Amino acid sequence: MSRIKTCVSLYSLQCEFMAGTMKLEDVFRYMKELEVEGIELLPDQMLHGTPEPSEETYAEWDRLVEKYGLDLACDDIFLNTNLYKNRELTKRECVDLIKKEIVMAHRLGFKVIRLVSMVPAWVLEPVLPTAEKYGISLCIEIHGGLGFDVPKTEEFLQEMLRLNSPYIGIVPDASLFCKRVPRVITEYYQQVFGTSDEIVRFVDEIFARGSDLFSEGKGIDIYHVPGLSEHIVNKEADEAYAGNVFGFENRDLSCMDPYVKNIQHFHFKLYEMTDEGEEYSIDYREILEYLHKHGYDGYVSTEYEGNRWVLPGCEIPEKEQIAKHQKMLKKLLKEIQG
Amino acid sequence: MFENNVFVEGSCRNVEEDGKIIGYEMETYITYYRGIPLSMVNHIKVETDGVEVPRENIRFTPDHIDWFTLDEMETVAGIKWEYDQKATVRVLQEGGLPKGVHKVRLTVCTRTAYIPFPLEGVVTREVTI
Repeated sequence: MSRIKTCVSLYSLQCEFMAGTMKLEDVFRYMKELEVEGIELLPDQMLHGTPEPSEETYAEWDRLVEKYGLDLACDDIFLNTNLYKNRELTKRECVDLIKKEIVMAHRLGFKVIRLVSMVPAWVLEPVLPTAEKYGISLCIEIHGGLGFDVPKTEEFLQEMLRLNSPYIGIVPDASLFCKRVPRVITEYYQQVFGTSDEIVRFVDEIFARGSDLFSEGKGIDIYHVPGLSEHIVNKEADEAYAGNVFGFENRDLSCMDPYVKNIQHFHFKLYEMTDEGEEYSIDYREILEYLHKHGYDGYVSTEYEGNRWVLPGCEIPEKEQIAKHQKMLKKLLKEIQG
Repeated sequence: MFENNVFVEGSCRNVEEDGKIIGYEMETYITYYRGIPLSMVNHIKVETDGVEVPRENIRFTPDHIDWFTLDEMETVAGIKWEYDQKATVRVLQEGGLPKGVHKVRLTVCTRTAYIPFPLEGVVTREVTI
C-alpha cells in the first residue's frame, strides 16, 4: 500500500553545520531524535571532495548510516555548467559529471537523485544506461520561478515523457504553492535593504487575489508585471525584493496532474512556522491530501529556508523550526493516512 | 543573502613572514550553500579605509595548502572551497595595516549552478590592529 513518509533535507541545518555547532554525526543524531524516517543530503554541502570523496569520507558516512538507521531518501546534486568563467561546459563534460554523481549516489546508498533546476534535458538519454545500471532515478526539481512554463524545465518534462523510464522523474518544490509571500523575507528586505512599504503592499495584493508575480510577469521577469514599475520607490531594494518574490508561485495543485505519477520525492519548503503550528505561506494539509488521493508513495522532505532570512545578529532557529514542521506533518499524516 | 557567511569576525590581522610584515588577511565562508571548485569564485574584492585593493595584490587559499591569485583561480577546477571551510583572503601590502582602527570591506561572489546572477555577499568590519 502506498504511504507518504517523513524526511528532512539536511540543508535545513546548514547554519549549524557551517558554524561547527553540529557535526554530521550531531545532525544524524538529531534526525533520529525527531523520529524522521528519511534524510536528504547535499553531498557538496556536508561531505568533502565530492563527487569523488575519499575512502575515509565514505567510511565515516557508512558508519553514521549504519549507526542511526535512517533511510536515505534523496541525494541533491548540481551540474556546474558554469565551472569556468569564459565558457559553458560541453555536452560530453556535463554527461561525465552526471555519471560521476550517479556512481557516488549509489556508493552512498541513495536511490533517488534530485537534479537541480535548469539541468539540460539532453543529458538524460546519454546518462540513462548508467542510471539503470546503478538503480538510480534522476528527478528534476520543479521549483517556484524555475519550474512549470520555464522553457528549460518544460523541455526536461517533454524528454522525460519521451524516454518514459522509471529512472526519470520529478521533485516538486512547495515554493510553487505559496498563498502569501513568506513574512520573514519581507521583513528581511525591509529592515536590511530598505524595501518600501509601497512595493510590499502591491505584491501582497497580487497574492491576496490568488495570483503571483511569476504568472503576472508571464514567467519572464518583474518588469513584465503590469503596474509594478509604478510601485517602485527605492529602486535597488524594491527591484531586488520583487526579483526574489518572482520565485514564489501561487499555483493550483492541479498543475501537477499531468506528472503526478512521475513524482518521486517532494520538497516541503519551510520559511516560518507560526505560533499556531502552521507554515506561514503554504497549506500543507491541502498538499498532503492531494498526494494521498493520488496514491503518492514516497517522502515529503522538510527544507527549511527561513535560515537565510534571519535578521543579522538574531539567533537562527534551525532545530526548533524543523521540529515544529515535522510535528505538523506527522499530525496531518496521521489524520490523512490513519 | 549570504551576508552571514562573509568575513569571519575578529579574523583580520597582519601577516608576518621571515620577520617582515608582508600584508594582512581575513577569513571568510563561502557565499553559497555548497562547496564549489575555485574556478566558480566569480570575484573577491577588498576595500580598506575607502580605497579598493588592486586585484593583483589579492591571494586566496581555501585550506592553507595552495595559494592562488584571482586570475589563477579562474582555471582551478580540481580544488574545492568546501562549504564548512574558512578560506583566507590575503592582501599583499608591505608593512600591512598600520596600528589603529580600519574599515575593511570584503566582497565574496560565487557563480551558482542554476541562478542566473552570481551570489554576492558584502560585509564591512571595523578592524583594530
